[in-house]
Amino acid sequence: MSLTVEMLFPEIANLHGDNANIDYLAQCRPDARVIRTGLTDPPAFAAGPVDLVYLGPLTEKGQLKAIAHLRPHRDRIVELIETGTVFLFTHNALEVLGARIRNDEMGYDEPGVGVFELEATLAMFGRYSGKVMGTVPEVGPEHPVLGYKSQFSMVTAPESLPGFLTAERGIGRNRATAVEGVRRNNFFGTSLLGPILVDNPHLTRALLRILDPGTEPVLAHERLALAAYDQRLADFRDPRRWHPFERVE
Amino acid sequence: MRGGPRVLLTIWAAKLAALALRVTGRAGTHVPGRIARRLHPGIIGAIRHPARVVVVTGTNGKTTVSNLLAEALQGEGMRVASNRSGSNLAAGVAMTLIDAVTWTGRSRADVAVLEMDERSAKLILPGLVPDILVCTNLTRDSIKRNAHPDYIAWVISSALPASTTLVLNADDLIASSIGSDANPRTHFAVDRLPTDGDTPHGAAVDAAICPVCDAPLVWDYWRFNHIGRAHCPNGDFRSPTAAYRAQQVDGPNRRVVLDLDGDARPATLINPNIVNVYNEVAVAAVLDRLGIARERLVSAFDRLQPPTTRFQEETVGGVELVRLLTKGLVGVACSRAFEYLASFSGRKAVVLNIDEVSERTTDVENTAWTYDADYDYLATSDVQQIVVGESAATTRRCGSRSRACRRSASSRWRRSSPRPTRSTSRARRRCSTCTACTTRSSPAPRCRRACASG
Repeated sequence: MSLTVEMLFPEIANLHGDNANIDYLAQCRPDARVIRTGLTDPPAFAAGPVDLVYLGPLTEKGQLKAIAHLRPHRDRIVELIETGTVFLFTHNALEVLGARIRNDEMGYDEPGVGVFELEATLAMFGRYSGKVMGTVPEVGPEHPVLGYKSQFSMVTAPESLPGFLTAERGIGRNRATAVEGVRRNNFFGTSLLGPILVDNPHLTRALLRILDPGTEPVLAHERLALAAYDQRLADFRDPRRWHPFERVE
Repeated sequence: MRGGPRVLLTIWAAKLAALALRVTGRAGTHVPGRIARRLHPGIIGAIRHPARVVVVTGTNGKTTVSNLLAEALQGEGMRVASNRSGSNLAAGVAMTLIDAVTWTGRSRADVAVLEMDERSAKLILPGLVPDILVCTNLTRDSIKRNAHPDYIAWVISSALPASTTLVLNADDLIASSIGSDANPRTHFAVDRLPTDGDTPHGAAVDAAICPVCDAPLVWDYWRFNHIGRAHCPNGDFRSPTAAYRAQQVDGPNRRVVLDLDGDARPATLINPNIVNVYNEVAVAAVLDRLGIARERLVSAFDRLQPPTTRFQEETVGGVELVRLLTKGLVGVACSRAFEYLASFSGRKAVVLNIDEVSERTTDVENTAWTYDADYDYLATSDVQQIVVGESAATTRRCGSRSRACRRSASSRWRRSSPRPTRSTSRARRRCSTCTACTTRSSPAPRCRRACASG
């Protein structure tokens, strides 16, 4: 089967090089059709089936715009998540689907789309930068997911909301938990930068398998991607690479 | 004098500290400035300022613009206080102002030209209350420190006094938006160039939609990133009109026409690189706002030269060698270098050296920035070889073990992240100086890299 990938709002959701997630996915599946849905366009997922919905990192204003444009489609998003459509929301895009975003310095406290019970609090003069290494069920502990955090926000959510991964090293949704991001069915929401699909070829292979179970996944630049992952994993497994603040308090 | 005895005491302490440092051969700017701010956190606002204060900020070009401005004003016979040899953080600005007063606190400069780190705005601007603030541009910078240009625009705007006159880049839709309605403002721009396009492309376009109705902007001309001139198709927004314009840019003959608020005058082009064309017209705009006679303003560019630390070009054995230094860990800065290299005709080999000292010393690496660069500029048939590796400069700096090198590593550490425990701090800093150096005799006990003796 051919894949349909919808990139939401690429004109505002394009920070930190993270759209390379979709560039890489498209290289792995050259037959994939990538739909770039602008802010003033109706989302493709609202009108019919798509295989993957992607939203990347946004500015603070961009988050509020994304919320405004996605809120009318809340029920459709919930329906697609429940029926197994694959979603990938990276960095602060996940916060858009939460209950609210609070930013005291910029002077707003706005409700999110309301798909998940998570709340984001931004500290505009307290940006957190760090590494994260943790396990995702599909790839197991032998191939942990590696990524980077660089963000103003910390997220709180009830323990009942499953995470994307549990951090073996680094922090999770906030400094007090190792549970990172959100995972519900095939919804993958993570604050990790990387881009994670480029930096984690085993995860990408697993994602491709979920997207198209009938086709054996083929990774673009597989040899290089795996060699880079192995080198990065060796770095991440070196305890001396970890700063004292990169741990759950 | 302003501020009373505490200010005087702070001035003396900082001046004495600077004197002591200079006697030992060290630059007496940042540390004395920190001492001053420790003794009097409001010293930037409390000390007597020169009659005119100009602040230069922005992602790129602030050093060049502030240096050119200082030189031009000195050429006018003014006494100029400038932090050109010091830091552009609050401590450096404080020390520059202290240097500009006598031991009794009297100002001995006519004008201050202060380069300001964008993120330091809230520590500097409220006390300084500059007469003029120039913002050269706001483009993507360090993901870890600067996040994104819109954030930096907010940082500057939230600290800007309403009385400050803004001199802004009209071709930069983010930089031109800073400040409030209360701020007087004027704009500069570079007219459409033959190399400009009509449609933005690349990984980093940070202003693509109308801020009012979200419609995709229509570009009158697009230069790079979000630099160009655009309007909303629904009529809700358009780029500001520039009073100061660079026109008829003639790189080969180093000539340009500077339109000074309707008064077009031919001038020397100080450098053909587009970034320096913007710098030149920004300098012209500020000099005009300061009331410098236009004849002298234009002729100043006959003698001004931009700093060359980031650019070197020479011909060796018939081969043209071009060295470009870009900001560390900034993808869009690499894109500009790639674009410039692509503009050269003929066969090319490109060597990319990545200086990752700060990543190594802070241990909080983040390689995401590499995906913000547009490598398409190098994907042409005339680029026949690309070599990628660690910077030789890194090795030299580590191996030299000079005082300056160790200071540099130390300051990067301070800027980038919280300090770890004492023991790991010492070990890691030593690691950063011994990596790839085979001549060091005593590597750190916990050296984590491939140090030959570690």
